[in-house]
Amino acid sequence: MERRISERFRSVGFLREGWAIFRESLLGKIGLILLILFALMAVSSFIPPRIDPMYHPMTGVDPEISSSVGPSLRHWLGTDFMGRDILSQLLAGARVAFMVGVSAAFMSIFLGTAIGMFAGYAGRAMDTLLMRLADMIMVMPTLLVVLILSSLFGQLNIWTIVLIIALFRWPGVSRVIRAQTLSLKQRPFIEAAKVAGASHLRIIFRHIMPNVLPLAFLYMTFRVTSAIIIEAALAFLGFGDPGTVSWGMMLQWVWKTGHMFRAPYWLLPPGICISLITLSFYMLGRAMDEVLDPRLRREGEAE
Amino acid sequence: MELRRYVIRRLVQIVIIFFVILTVLFMLFRLAPGDPVSRMVDPDMTPEDSERLIAELGLNRPLWIQYVVYVKNFVTGNFGHSFHYGEPVVHIIGNRLPNTILLFTTSIILSALVGVFLGKIASWHKGEKTDTFMTIGALATHTVFLPWLALILIWVFAYKLAWFPITGMISEEVWLDPDAGFVMKALDVMQHMILPLATLFLIHFGAYLLIMRSSMLETLKEDYILTARAKGLEEKVIRDRHAAPNAALPVVTSIGLSLAFSINGGALTETVFTWPGIGRELVFSVSHNDYPLAQACFLLIALVVLISNLVVDVLYAYLDPRIRY
Repeated sequence: MERRISERFRSVGFLREGWAIFRESLLGKIGLILLILFALMAVSSFIPPRIDPMYHPMTGVDPEISSSVGPSLRHWLGTDFMGRDILSQLLAGARVAFMVGVSAAFMSIFLGTAIGMFAGYAGRAMDTLLMRLADMIMVMPTLLVVLILSSLFGQLNIWTIVLIIALFRWPGVSRVIRAQTLSLKQRPFIEAAKVAGASHLRIIFRHIMPNVLPLAFLYMTFRVTSAIIIEAALAFLGFGDPGTVSWGMMLQWVWKTGHMFRAPYWLLPPGICISLITLSFYMLGRAMDEVLDPRLRREGEAE
Repeated sequence: MELRRYVIRRLVQIVIIFFVILTVLFMLFRLAPGDPVSRMVDPDMTPEDSERLIAELGLNRPLWIQYVVYVKNFVTGNFGHSFHYGEPVVHIIGNRLPNTILLFTTSIILSALVGVFLGKIASWHKGEKTDTFMTIGALATHTVFLPWLALILIWVFAYKLAWFPITGMISEEVWLDPDAGFVMKALDVMQHMILPLATLFLIHFGAYLLIMRSSMLETLKEDYILTARAKGLEEKVIRDRHAAPNAALPVVTSIGLSLAFSINGGALTETVFTWPGIGRELVFSVSHNDYPLAQACFLLIALVVLISNLVVDVLYAYLDPRIRY
């Protein structure tokens, strides 16, 4: 099975065939359209503060408003408890979500691939040690780990949060990559490379890595969703980066200032955005699963 | 016999992993910036009391002695006193644990049962409207941001409609009333539990539905289903008696795999609904710098996750006779 995946990736027809399946998949289409909309939101987040400094998501305050007021022409989604514009906060939140999700996912995929290849290639004690470590980290509830760390190290900034999420989210990927590496190791072309005198590093980077990378990227979408959710939950509980306007942070403000029963225009948008962006990455991931291999479908759902 | 050996081996592993976590936590508490003593000793204590506690914990002695004392205290169940409550941490945890177990296990069992049932139906109607509707519905409820869902449920059902209390686990007027019997009290807790339970249920059942659906589709391709059809059995019998029980096995595994995810969700739910459980206590103690309580809650949760994973694996072996360890 693993062999088939990597070969399908190499065949020329794969991209066209993959795109054909993808186009037929309803989930994939919905997911992609939603993601494009969110990307547009993130890009346009730079516009409102240029129009007027009062639209700055963090520091901009409408001089005539000092409390939460419903939607108006001036503020399409209303203002928060300090008179800041909710729409510009929502746009800035899209930028933060992409930033957090993609960078944390990228880092954890990088770590997971490196560790998985290394464990699979080295074998023996190293393999056992790394995989037991993976087992251990896998069962830790990441949100609570970040909570404990923030209680010890004080307010964490957004990049530290991203780093911690990545450090605790590699085991799933590394297991799959390790399995793939183990099967690759037995194949003739690796033997041939060894006989030809290639070093271990060369074998890992030139011969194994190109074969496992596609699989690693499949996991990326699922890692993006879990990173976005963890950051949002952390911010919601009041442990986010105070210098960042994320959707979780906006929900925290609604909740903590007691506006949740009074200001639906403020409570609804950030929650809908977090839910929809996770949904769209999730749907994209499932559609990609189907393109790659239907049998893989079960793996991603564990998260 | 083999199963017993397997369980013993896993228990040994759990003990080792737990010691690693314990040690990492010990080191983190001493590596973090600031005075480690202030994390163990309540800042509100009188100087004599704090002197005594420092001596008791060995905080003025070499690190390895501190470690030995730390492990000994942990093994004997002495977690120190909570800064905020001023009570032994063990009492607080003993008090909160049943509440968490009640909410958490009810929600997991309920969502697994409903997920399996609906997943079975979705797979049976593969490609039809029912299936599309269920799959998208499951994906959507599974990816809703949990704390937000909780706030929306509170807003609609507790605030607007006033069907349920907004937060908490019990109403004081019922529990202080000397005439209120057990039934009244149980009903009161149930009324408080419905919304948090609904939140956790909505988040979880979708995942089980999707797993059951794809597992059922795989199972239906098996030879024994073909045999059953060839025997002329009714479709309903094939679905419910031959396919579903086998297809439900991966759901059991996924409960174990997604436990860490569920526990995050449990802590968020407890916090939003101020349900007096371990998860809420952890969030609360972290925001109030109540280090002894935070540490104990975290270790307890880690232990529960490790043991539950073992229970799920043993349950799996029991349910599927083909699995032998």
